Amino acid sequence: MAIRVTLDRILIERRMSLTDLSERVGVTLANLSILKTGKAKAIRFSTLNALCRVLECQPGEILSFEPGEGEIELAEAETEAAE
Amino acid sequence: MRALGKGSIASAVKAVLDVARWGLWLAALLLTLAALAYIGLLALTAAGSVNPALLQDLQAHIHLRPNVEYRGPPEVSWPVILWAFAVGGVAIGGGIVIVGRLRRLFEGFSSGEPFRKEYAGHLRVIWIAMLTIELSRIALSALLAVMLRLLDHSNGTVSFGISLDLTTWLSIFVLIVLAEVFREGARMKEEQELTV
Repeated sequence: MAIRVTLDRILIERRMSLTDLSERVGVTLANLSILKTGKAKAIRFSTLNALCRVLECQPGEILSFEPGEGEIELAEAETEAAE
Repeated sequence: MRALGKGSIASAVKAVLDVARWGLWLAALLLTLAALAYIGLLALTAAGSVNPALLQDLQAHIHLRPNVEYRGPPEVSWPVILWAFAVGGVAIGGGIVIVGRLRRLFEGFSSGEPFRKEYAGHLRVIWIAMLTIELSRIALSALLAVMLRLLDHSNGTVSFGISLDLTTWLSIFVLIVLAEVFREGARMKEEQELTV
């Protein structure tokens, strides 16, 4: 999965622990850990909404797209197919 | 009748599977003993220790119906009996695999989590086992026809026919589809579990 979740940096900036975040967002610590470690397969808009509200940030500040080699090859193949 | 728990359909099917498992292992043991005894008898007859008439008398009382029709000397009936042992062995072995996987499937359903990757794997093994049994039956019958033709020097007639049991093949296709449905269900369940 090329989507990266960068909760660590913003938690340090906001001086908040993962436990505090889980209590304020209303998501279990286990689920937040899954999100933080990059094991999550999907995120609900309601969860993203709650995270951005509590952390006072934009979705782009906690989510980023970092394509690996496979993703780049796939994008190139799709471009060639479109042409 | 309830779906799960004591007195339910699942518990009744599990009991049947338990009986089937013991029955198949017993059949496997009996088949192995019978095959060893028959091969021993063949060896002793070939060595001259046993009167061939005894073997022919024994074989005359065994009625088997392979997919092969043979009209020739009765001395070549031993390939038919060995064919029966081979087909029986494959069927019982396949049955043990199928019943074993079905039992594990039911244990999973009873635990309340039917959509797991390993259960899709069990269904896949089951349809592969059924396919193997059917294809082995056809292959062994073809091999029997060839053996009868090679062993019989009196030019007896050998005719081989393939009979396809549509019910069995349809069951295999149904299981293939079910295995894929469960695989997709397991993938969706995993995705749901990892959705935050």
